[in-house]
Amino acid sequence: MTPHTLTPAVARRGSSAQPRVALVRPKKPLRWITTAAVAAAVVGLHAVAIEGTDFKPELLVDGWQGMAAFIGDAFPPDLSWEKTLKPGLEATLVTLWIGLLGTTLSVPFALLLAALAAENTSPHRLVYQVARAILSFFRAVPDIVFALIFVTAVGLGPFAGVLALICHNTGVMGKLWAESMEEIDAGPQEALRTAGANRIQQVANATLPMVVPQFVGLLLYRFDVNVRSSLVLGLVGAGGIGLLINQSIKSFQFDSMLTHILIVLVLIIVVDQFSAWIRRRLAA
Amino acid sequence: MPRAGQGPLLSVQGLRKSFNGRTVLQGVDFSVAAGELVAFLGANGSGKSTTLRCVMGITSPDSGSISIDDTALENLQGRELQQTRQRMAMIFQKIHLVPRRTALDNVCAGALSRIPTVRSLSPLLFPADVQQEALDCLDRVGLADRAFDRVGRLSGGQQQRVAVARALCQRADVVLADEPVSALDPHAAEQVMALLRELAHSEGLAVAAVLHQPDLALRYADRSIGLLQGSMTFDLPSPEVTAEHLDTLYAPDRIASDTIVSDRTQAA
Repeated sequence: MTPHTLTPAVARRGSSAQPRVALVRPKKPLRWITTAAVAAAVVGLHAVAIEGTDFKPELLVDGWQGMAAFIGDAFPPDLSWEKTLKPGLEATLVTLWIGLLGTTLSVPFALLLAALAAENTSPHRLVYQVARAILSFFRAVPDIVFALIFVTAVGLGPFAGVLALICHNTGVMGKLWAESMEEIDAGPQEALRTAGANRIQQVANATLPMVVPQFVGLLLYRFDVNVRSSLVLGLVGAGGIGLLINQSIKSFQFDSMLTHILIVLVLIIVVDQFSAWIRRRLAA
Repeated sequence: MPRAGQGPLLSVQGLRKSFNGRTVLQGVDFSVAAGELVAFLGANGSGKSTTLRCVMGITSPDSGSISIDDTALENLQGRELQQTRQRMAMIFQKIHLVPRRTALDNVCAGALSRIPTVRSLSPLLFPADVQQEALDCLDRVGLADRAFDRVGRLSGGQQQRVAVARALCQRADVVLADEPVSALDPHAAEQVMALLRELAHSEGLAVAAVLHQPDLALRYADRSIGLLQGSMTFDLPSPEVTAEHLDTLYAPDRIASDTIVSDRTQAA
């Protein structure tokens, strides 16, 4: 039997003989070698990583009582209004405000740097490189490091957290925005260039209005991330609910800690739903 | 813009261009008079679009002379060159408007070269006289009633007419259209072609359009130019273009497709 019985036209015509077009897949012998090599490399890397992180599941099995005791101490959560709930909710609001200001106040810097760091809007190759370098720096330094630096200047408290988020978020959002501008259809910008518009006019009247939906989507995503980051910033003294969680752990009040964590859970869900809702409205 | 010269509004001589050693244009000469619609015909890769892009300055030609109103662009520099170039406007196959902005704001963008940079940062800052002029331009393409609709909500044909209005708002008197109707349905294509012809005939614009549909070219264009592998094969008043002329342009494709058809027939 011939191996080429797949051609439907031949089958329909009922001609059982040789098909007109032979089905021969081009042979690529190298593909198997490449696949095998990649698989071996991935397995090897994992072996090294397991070794490097002291990854020992048996420890987890042996030490389960410690965990159970810790969680047992936390239950039931402390729901007393004056002692736990009220300060928790107030601190949660502070966390939210840190995330909000850290996001919105970084917009002007991120916008400027993004426009300078996108190939299709940057005025000059040198400016492009410098802007990229600045964004890389702000991205590479973790927000928690920025927070520690600002604490030395403005003292412990939410303000240091806001400043830290502005710095880090400028780097991340500037990079994301620059990339979304580079991916946008270049046609409208070219059309305005042929009409004699200068570079700033092209960007303001073609590129930027084209990327508004992507920009807003990324802004909401960053707001979401920044609210969660501001929790961690609270742990190093930048105020908010993170600070309270840290304090309740240090004073062994695990039932208060659980309450705070539950409040945080609600906050995260609300912020996530809110930004998903806005993004859906934008897409429609 | 008032005419200065007596010759054709747009005149192109000896246009040559090659990309990485592959010759795309080997000496193209043509002219377009004020009040004339000229169509460029040819198969894919024949150099039609490259011709327009070279004239427009989007692609720089290897050699050749481009004159507008008897002024050769190669003799101009700086501000003068820019001002003369702005007498040409381009219409694109993919329209290239900003869908999220209104038709009026898109048309105003044609006038950006006349607006100070600070007043062009947002449509809210566009000068009132520019906005009025843009509305008049939309009126000339029959879309004044859609001025405040977002372009993304308009049909393809309407969008292309907004793009024509943008060219008008640029105050161009030479309009180069690169496959202006290829993305449109037949009815919208007829409308846009009729508009381009009317702008040429009644407003005295010089219009050159690259077209993929010979029948549209022959019905709407005053003159048709055939391009084959970067050379002009004919430059005739449209009524004088015959089926043989067109066959030479698309012949290589036709021979190839004939072969396939006869092959299939034999097999069946």
